[in-house]
Amino acid sequence: MFERTLNVFWIVFGAASAVYAWSLGMVGPAGPESGLFPFIASIIVSGAGIVLLLRRAVVAPDFPRGGGLWRVLGVILGLMVMAAEMPYLGFSVTSFITMIILLRTVDRSSWLSAIALAFVSTASVFWLFGQILGMALPRGPWGW
Amino acid sequence: MMEALNGLLTGFAVILTPSNLYLCFLGSLIGTLVGVLPGVGPLAALALLLPVTFTLSPIGGLVMLASIFYGAMYGGSTTSILLNIPGEAASVVTCFDGHQMARQGRAGPALGIAAIGSFIAGTLGVVIMTFFAPAIAAVAIRFGPPENFSLMVLGLVCTLFMISGSTIKGVLMMALGFLTAAVGLDVVNGRERYTFGSVDLSGGVELLAVVIGLFGIAEILSNVETMAKSTLLADRIRGLWPSLADWRASWRPILRGSGLGFVLGLVPGGGPVTAAFMSYALEKRIAAQPDRFGKGAIEGVAGPESANNSAVAGSLIPVLSLGIPSNPVTALLLGALIIQGIQPGPLFIAQRPDLFWGIVASMYIGNVFLLLLNLPLVGLWVQFLRIPYRVMFPVVLLLCVVGTYSANKNVFDLWVMLGFGVAGYVLRKLEYDLAPFVIAFVLAPLLEQSLRQSLVMSPDGAMILIKRPVTALLLAVSVVLTFLMFRRRTKSEGGLP
Amino acid sequence: MKWAGISYALVIALLSTSAGAQSDPKAELAKLKPKDFPTQPIEFTVVYPAGGGMDVSARLLAKHVENWSGDRIIVNNRTGGAGMVGHSYLATQAKPDGYTVGVIASLLWGDAMLRAQGRWSFTDLEPIAYVNSDALIWVGSTDGPYKGMSIKDVVNAAKDKPNTIRVAIVPGSMWEYILDQIEANSGAKFLRVPFQGGGAGITALIGGNVDIAQGFFSEFRGYLEGSKVTPLAVAAAGRMDFLKDMPTFNEAFGSNEYLWQLVRYAVVPKGTPPDRKAYLAAAVQTAMKDPELIAEYRKQGVFFDPKLENSKNLAADLNAYAEVERQFYVKTGRLK
Repeated sequence: MFERTLNVFWIVFGAASAVYAWSLGMVGPAGPESGLFPFIASIIVSGAGIVLLLRRAVVAPDFPRGGGLWRVLGVILGLMVMAAEMPYLGFSVTSFITMIILLRTVDRSSWLSAIALAFVSTASVFWLFGQILGMALPRGPWGW
Repeated sequence: MMEALNGLLTGFAVILTPSNLYLCFLGSLIGTLVGVLPGVGPLAALALLLPVTFTLSPIGGLVMLASIFYGAMYGGSTTSILLNIPGEAASVVTCFDGHQMARQGRAGPALGIAAIGSFIAGTLGVVIMTFFAPAIAAVAIRFGPPENFSLMVLGLVCTLFMISGSTIKGVLMMALGFLTAAVGLDVVNGRERYTFGSVDLSGGVELLAVVIGLFGIAEILSNVETMAKSTLLADRIRGLWPSLADWRASWRPILRGSGLGFVLGLVPGGGPVTAAFMSYALEKRIAAQPDRFGKGAIEGVAGPESANNSAVAGSLIPVLSLGIPSNPVTALLLGALIIQGIQPGPLFIAQRPDLFWGIVASMYIGNVFLLLLNLPLVGLWVQFLRIPYRVMFPVVLLLCVVGTYSANKNVFDLWVMLGFGVAGYVLRKLEYDLAPFVIAFVLAPLLEQSLRQSLVMSPDGAMILIKRPVTALLLAVSVVLTFLMFRRRTKSEGGLP
Repeated sequence: MKWAGISYALVIALLSTSAGAQSDPKAELAKLKPKDFPTQPIEFTVVYPAGGGMDVSARLLAKHVENWSGDRIIVNNRTGGAGMVGHSYLATQAKPDGYTVGVIASLLWGDAMLRAQGRWSFTDLEPIAYVNSDALIWVGSTDGPYKGMSIKDVVNAAKDKPNTIRVAIVPGSMWEYILDQIEANSGAKFLRVPFQGGGAGITALIGGNVDIAQGFFSEFRGYLEGSKVTPLAVAAAGRMDFLKDMPTFNEAFGSNEYLWQLVRYAVVPKGTPPDRKAYLAAAVQTAMKDPELIAEYRKQGVFFDPKLENSKNLAADLNAYAEVERQFYVKTGRLK
């Protein structure tokens, strides 16, 4: 079922993209315009979607359930927090929070070991990149 | 010939001082480390260390930067093999068979052959550079838009051979790679497309974010899903070094990879990344049993790992003998020279023989350093596999984030990485092959730009693609290969798709 | 022996008095330093990739500002979208706390006027110091059908046989605008072959894939020494010190509108505290007086615009340049 839905998505996505590419222009006086290559690629996406939809062989994906699902969602959530908060809270704090989320959801570590591991890994990455390599990592309102 | 040998002697005289040797060793060490760290590639490392080189002599600074570049190619294979996460974009293909080998307890031979292949290819590349740099540069500069176009076409056709599993899904991925590459500024007319008013998208989609997402994050997601086992591998580790059989299987791929990588390093676009992909495609195409690929074939490690190293030597030729960078890393090396007050151009070798030959000589030495450094590390890396995954993955994840951020210093890239990570995780479950996406993404901008450039500069339209002999030849080869592939696929699969 | 000792002492005495008479720039700068600033490295933001012309200028500047001020400086490349991503970051996201300094080029104006869509303006960034300038130069090849031609010959040839001469351009920028002007004024027609940067165009010129390339001096100087290329004309107000024989476009065509140059300068985001802004401005200006830095810049082949070098009101003078550019966009219908 999931794969069929995805195939329909390819068809619709390719079609929408093709319409947009068409609006960019196909061929001009000096050969292809901005839209030609994306248009061809979009048509291939749509076409492949149609072929896949018509085909009988369907893969049944083994999506995770229960604990596995929670762990996967935990990693995704952790990364979302990281990307969303880094510009505001700076690298160190965000990465510390993310690590706690990861270790608590995925690993179910105890609070103590989660905090310890989060601190050590954040500090060592910060030290390696921020200090040794002199990379400008995002800073929080408190300056680090 | 004599001239080259004399030059080389000059070079060794320049380089064999304690401080230069130390810098070469330091660069090799840093390069290996950056290569190992997932996400942090040679470009970020060179940019970060550029200020350090101001305080060094021109030759010292350059030797160090160059050794970081090729050192990263040695280190890049490590995480590919151990964790199935590419250390940098040029090591994506090493994951396919390298990690399978590791799962079979053969991480040692995989790492070993990667290091030795890198050494052979790196050294062969420097040997060619020693004797033919000016001649090759003179040919390379004639390579114009039509030649680039036909080379990219050939590259795409080769990618078709690489697709594992369903052909139609692979083609779909290639088309998506094309579309993703179209996001941002159209290089031909400066217009924005597929950006929908977003400033972040106007910069296009960052290759590193795509690669780390599709291969790094997706891999971590599938690993945390089945967290039952405590380490990545079963305890048995079979042998640390490549066996005689491994050697027999590997020496030809190493030589082929060296040659292919060197040529692809010369031309603009991709460099080591394209070289590794093409070498994998080539090995799979000519293998007696192509279905062994993706299941731990040592040729799939030996070829690409050699190719990305000789591509480094190849890409240094245009920049050192003409001052023309063929990829972002060599552009940075050029900048480092300019900051030192040196302007490479066609007279660089004649005017600064000490610098040119010094770098060439340092590459012989650097490759030896890297081999001596990496072989003992094999044993250490293999032990890393015993670290419980639950301890390892948060740190790896953090490195992926920092590495991705380091490319443009734009937090938006983290969203791109996450998006591609989730997409890659889902698509893998549906048995989509993600490699064609990456290679199409790399080749697409150059393909489109060079075709449009060719048509603009040609008085009689598309005829320019037939009139120029190199272009015509490459296109003809592409057509024949496509034909062969479809015939074989239809035979083996009993009809498309 | 004795005499030598005495004269030595004299020289020392003379030297020390002359040094004392002049004000010490380092001390002057230290006087301006705010109490609580800086407590962490200052970030020089460059919106183009590491290793390019802009990056090299910024890194040389950073090195000398570090020397004079003693503060730690990190050069940070925020790249993407031909500078658009970094420009937007500086104008809208960068914290105005004095820790972010943009070392930018006047390409900012075009981005602000044509591509920012009103989300930000170049006046959101306040200039603190002028750095250097680079003028666009047309170069031809020393072999092929157009060898030995002057800029006038080339334009005439493009008029007689339109759409035959291939010129390398970088789309949507001054590389293209200058062609618009020449074509409009002369009736000539060129084939515009697009490249991603000036350097790529020069490469194509050497390889015989285009007939004319455009670039900055540093981009083709190496080939000049190998006598593979020949400079045709420069789009600046006066001739260049390093290429006295090369005419300006304005000389060749008796005009005054061919002025396409890149002005590099340092900015801080609007709202940076005045004391920090003043200190940063002084630090960059002090470094810019260092003869060593000037020499390094000259070696690179950039030039110093006298009007901006001695400017009393840098912001106003830069705005005047930007206004000329705006009028060009309005005239050519790019901007309404």
